[in-house]
Amino acid sequence: MQGILFPRGVVEEREGLQEYRARGGYTALEKALKGLAPETVIQEITESGLQGRGGAGFPAGKKWAFTRECAEQPHYVVLNGGEDEPGSKKDRLLMENLPHLVMEGVILASYAVGASTAYLYVNSQYNKAKDSMAQALAEAQEAGLVGKKILGSDFNLDILFVAAPPNYVAGEDSAALEVIEQKQPLPRQKPPFPATAGLFGKPTAVNNVETLANVPAIIASGAKWYRSFGTPESPGTMIFSLNDEVNRPGIYELPFGSTLRFLIEERGGGVKGGKSIKAIMPGGPSSAFLPPDKIDIPLDHNSVRAAGSSIGCGVVHIVTEGSCIVEEILRIADFFAAESCGQCPACRMETNTLAVMLKKVQQGQGGQPLLEQFSKVISFNKGKGFCNLINMPGPPIESALRLFRPDFEFHLANGRCPQS
Amino acid sequence: MKRLCLVCQNVDCKSRGSEQLMKELAKLVAERALTDVEVRPYICFGACQDGPNIVLYPEKSWYAGVKTEDLKDIADRLAGGPDVKRLDKIDSSLKELIYQLLDTGVF
Ligand SMILES: Cc1cc2nc3c(=O)[nH]c(=O)nc-3n(C[C@H](O)[C@H](O)[C@H](O)COP(=O)(O)O)c2cc1C
Ligand code: FES
Repeated sequence: MQGILFPRGVVEEREGLQEYRARGGYTALEKALKGLAPETVIQEITESGLQGRGGAGFPAGKKWAFTRECAEQPHYVVLNGGEDEPGSKKDRLLMENLPHLVMEGVILASYAVGASTAYLYVNSQYNKAKDSMAQALAEAQEAGLVGKKILGSDFNLDILFVAAPPNYVAGEDSAALEVIEQKQPLPRQKPPFPATAGLFGKPTAVNNVETLANVPAIIASGAKWYRSFGTPESPGTMIFSLNDEVNRPGIYELPFGSTLRFLIEERGGGVKGGKSIKAIMPGGPSSAFLPPDKIDIPLDHNSVRAAGSSIGCGVVHIVTEGSCIVEEILRIADFFAAESCGQCPACRMETNTLAVMLKKVQQGQGGQPLLEQFSKVISFNKGKGFCNLINMPGPPIESALRLFRPDFEFHLANGRCPQS
Repeated sequence: MKRLCLVCQNVDCKSRGSEQLMKELAKLVAERALTDVEVRPYICFGACQDGPNIVLYPEKSWYAGVKTEDLKDIADRLAGGPDVKRLDKIDSSLKELIYQLLDTGVF
C-alpha cells in the first residue's frame, strides 16, 4: 500500500537534502513561492481536509486561516515536536529520518500564515532528531530555502530551535509557547487561542510534526489527490504506533479507514504469543478502552468516536487476556497525577483523588460505593482546567468500569488481581 | 473508628502553611486529651483557592482559609465546643462530592 509520508515504507535512515530533492523535495515550496498566494496555499490545505495529528484532530487549514487573518503582526509558526505521549515515537522518527520533509512543511506553513519566524520545539531528549533537524536547517539555508528572499521570492524566514522539557504537559500548545518565551511549561487559559494570541501575544500556528510533514505532498499534488487516501471525513493517512504487545512493534502509516484488525494483525503481525485480546486503547492513555469485538472498526475519527473511543495521536495499546484492567488504569491514573502541572486546583484534586481511589480498589478497600464515586469526581471536574489534561483520565476509567466491572469487584473482594 | 481531622497537604494549602497548621492542631488535640481524634493529611479537597482547608469527619464540618489563630476554636469544636461557623465558606456541591468520597473511605 502506498503511503504519503513514507511512499516506500517507513524510512530507516536519514534522508539528506540531495536525496530529498531527487524525489521531488522542495518542489512544493517552489510551486508555492512562484505561483500560489498564501491564501491559495491555505485554501488547498483546507480542501485537503488535513487534520492535526497532535491528538485533537483540529483542521489545519482552519487554524492557518485564523492565524493569517489576524491583523496583529508579526505572525509565528511553531513546530510541536514535544512528543511525550507514552509509546509514541512517530514525530521523533520523522525529524530524525525525514528532516527536510518536516522542514519544507514548516516553511510552507510560515509562508501560508505570513510568519517570518518559525520555532522548532523539539523534545530535549531527542538528541538525534535535534541534530538531524539542525543539519537540515544548515543545508536548507545554504541552498537558499530558508533565510532572506527564499528561492528569489520576497519571502523571508528565520528558523530557531527551542528545547522542549521532557514532561507531558510541555507538549500542550500554549505551554510550548511559554517555554519559547523562556517561562515554565504551564498551559495558558484559553481563549484566547494561540492562533489569535500566541507567542509574545501574537497570532501563532502551532502544529504537530506529522501534520506539517503532510503539507508538502498536498501542495505538490493537490487536495484532490490527497483525498484519494483515507475517508471523506478523515482524508489522508495517519501514523499508528504499536508497542511490545505485538510481534512486530513499530510505526505504520495507514490510510484513515483501515481497520484496527488490519493494523494489529497484518502490520503488527498479531499479538505476541498468540494471546487473545481483552481490550484495545486505540489512541493513547486518554482514550477509552474498546472491547475486542470492535477490532473490525475502521480507524478514522468518526468511526472510532462512534465505537466509544478516540484516535488521539495513534498509539494503539493492546491489553491481552490475563492482564488486569485495574492495574492498567492505576498506571494511567498515576501517570496523569504525576504529569498534571499543578496550576489548576480542580485538575490536581481530580488526578490525585482518582489515583488514590484506584489504589484503594486495588488493595480491596472501599467496597461498591467507591466505584460509584469515580464518575462523580470526573464529571465534577470536567473542563475546569486550563488544558485538556483534566479531561484525560475520564475515558479510560469510565470505560474500564463499564466493560470490566468483574476485575474491579474481584479486587474489592480480594485485594488482588483475578489472575495472581 | 477514630474521628478524623483532615488537613489538606496539596500545593496551595501547603504554600499557605498547612504543614505547620497540621502540627499545631495535633498539639492542641493532644493537650485536650482527645484520644479519639486523629489529625492527618489529606490529598486535596479541590478548594485550593480557599485554602488552607480542614475537614472534620464524620461530623462533616469544613473549615476554609484557616489561620493559626483559628486552630484553638477548631480544637475546642473537636472537644464538644460550638461549630466554627465563620470558616464555613465552601459551596455545597463540592462539599457533597468530598463527603461522599470520605463516606466511601477515600482518605
Ligand atoms: C497535556 C497535553 C499534552 C500535549 N502534548 C502534545 C505533544 O507532545 N505534541 C503535539 O503535537 N501536541 C500535543 N498536544 C496537543 C497540542 O496542544 C496541540 O493541540 C497540537 O500541537 C496542535 O497541532 P495539530 O493541530 O497539528 O495537531 C498536547 C495537548 C495536551 C492537552
Ligand atoms: S493546565 Fe496544568 S495540567 Fe493542564
